Amino acid sequence: MTRVAALSIVVAFAVFVLVWKAIVVVSGLPPFILPAPETVAIRFVGAWRDGTIEPHLATTLVEVGLGFAVGVALALIAGYGLARSVWVERLLSPYLVAAQAIPILALAPLLVWWFGNGLLSKVVIAALIVFFPVAVATMVGIRSVDARLLELGRSLRATRRQVLLTLEIPAALPNILGGMRVGVTLAVVGALVGEWAGANQGLGVLINLARGSLFDIPLMFATLVTIALVGIVLYLMVVILERRLVGNR
Amino acid sequence: MSLTGHGPGAVRLRDLSFAFVARGGGSLPVLDGVDLAIPGGGIVALVGPNGCGKSTLLRVIAGLLEPARGEALLDGAPIDGPDPRIGLVFQEPRLLPWRSAADNITYPLELAGWPAARRRERLAALSDRVDLDPAVTTSRPAELSGGTRQRVALARALALEPEVLLLDEPFSALDALTRERFDLELLRLWHRAATTIVIVTHSIPEAVLIADRVVVLSARPARIVADIAIDLARPRTIEALDDPAAGRASRRIRAFLEDDDGEPTEHRTTAASVRTELAS
Repeated sequence: MTRVAALSIVVAFAVFVLVWKAIVVVSGLPPFILPAPETVAIRFVGAWRDGTIEPHLATTLVEVGLGFAVGVALALIAGYGLARSVWVERLLSPYLVAAQAIPILALAPLLVWWFGNGLLSKVVIAALIVFFPVAVATMVGIRSVDARLLELGRSLRATRRQVLLTLEIPAALPNILGGMRVGVTLAVVGALVGEWAGANQGLGVLINLARGSLFDIPLMFATLVTIALVGIVLYLMVVILERRLVGNR
Repeated sequence: MSLTGHGPGAVRLRDLSFAFVARGGGSLPVLDGVDLAIPGGGIVALVGPNGCGKSTLLRVIAGLLEPARGEALLDGAPIDGPDPRIGLVFQEPRLLPWRSAADNITYPLELAGWPAARRRERLAALSDRVDLDPAVTTSRPAELSGGTRQRVALARALALEPEVLLLDEPFSALDALTRERFDLELLRLWHRAATTIVIVTHSIPEAVLIADRVVVLSARPARIVADIAIDLARPRTIEALDDPAAGRASRRIRAFLEDDDGEPTEHRTTAASVRTELAS
């Protein structure tokens, strides 16, 4: 990252905090509606020190990580099938569209009812929401493989496996990683939605606790900040992976 | 003094016909009874009107397309699929954009299961063979000039030491001078490796400069309308085109091409071909 880019991020963040502070001062809203940025910052540090956030964060990260991995793995297989087989496309497309048409929010309570309050239901929900963008990106990527390169592979007697590993995957990689970039932020959404539908631990649970029984609005904001950081860090991890794999094309 | 008739790489096409299946269910005949014998180590240039089926003929020899009738033989045995004894250079370099030039050159070796150490060894020999600057082998295709890219493609086609080299208008995207240089380099390469060469081209001077024989094809479906021997001594230089024999051959080829009902063939006018035409 260049110095200018880094500086612009710092400036944007500073402006955000200043506007927030100005709204608090000018509007005179009570802290249980909109706490001041420094109040949230102090609560954030405090909640980390006393170990309030950590177990919830760990739970959510495991859900997000597993959900993302399972969703991506299934999407790669399905996306490849969709691109290469008319029959797979005919059989799978109606379900894909239907799964997209039903909001995950409406589906989450049912999935928690089926798969329980624990990890499994969150992984299922996160995987489900990650699946669609990655599958579509994989399908588009595999279909975009240059037919002339495939002919080259054939002239060199490449096996099915060699075509997949040396031609199709490298050619589709930019598309697949683009899908994963969208998917990773959706995995966080999926885990939180799952926690809202029923869970004992997780950042989504902590938000509910802070708003309800604890009535600790600054803690709610601190949790929000944590969730935002999780999303940003995961997104950046995919971007870095993308740079390393396809950046120098 | 060409090295014809000896060694491996003899290609024999016997009554070869091919048709593409049209979308409506009908068929589009592309090759119609092509009969051709190319001795091992010989150089044949295929010329013909645009879209006449020259590239299709090359793909049948390469084992990428199966003939509807007749057969293609390599050293007496039918060609029934892509064969490591046949190297292919396409009209465009057709490099894998995500690989370095070096990894593109050794791609056929990788597919054939060569260990990395042997591939590296072979890479050095191949780069030397096609006069590729070793400094550029770490670059990606996008960073290379058109000529260098085609050099990489040529090295890749030679990677498995083929007996037959098939070239489909390989230098048509290059400027006239670069193209002449590549034609001569191809001849030098042939003198060292003695592979059979079948080259499809639109350029009459290129065909005359390179080939032992120029085979003229008709408009689609392609038949052989002339098989013209080029009586020029080897090794040839660009001055070979000033030879009266070259002028005579060029005029005969052109006459056969213009006789045909197909679209007129684009032919490149080089200083040499103008000179031969003026001299006649």
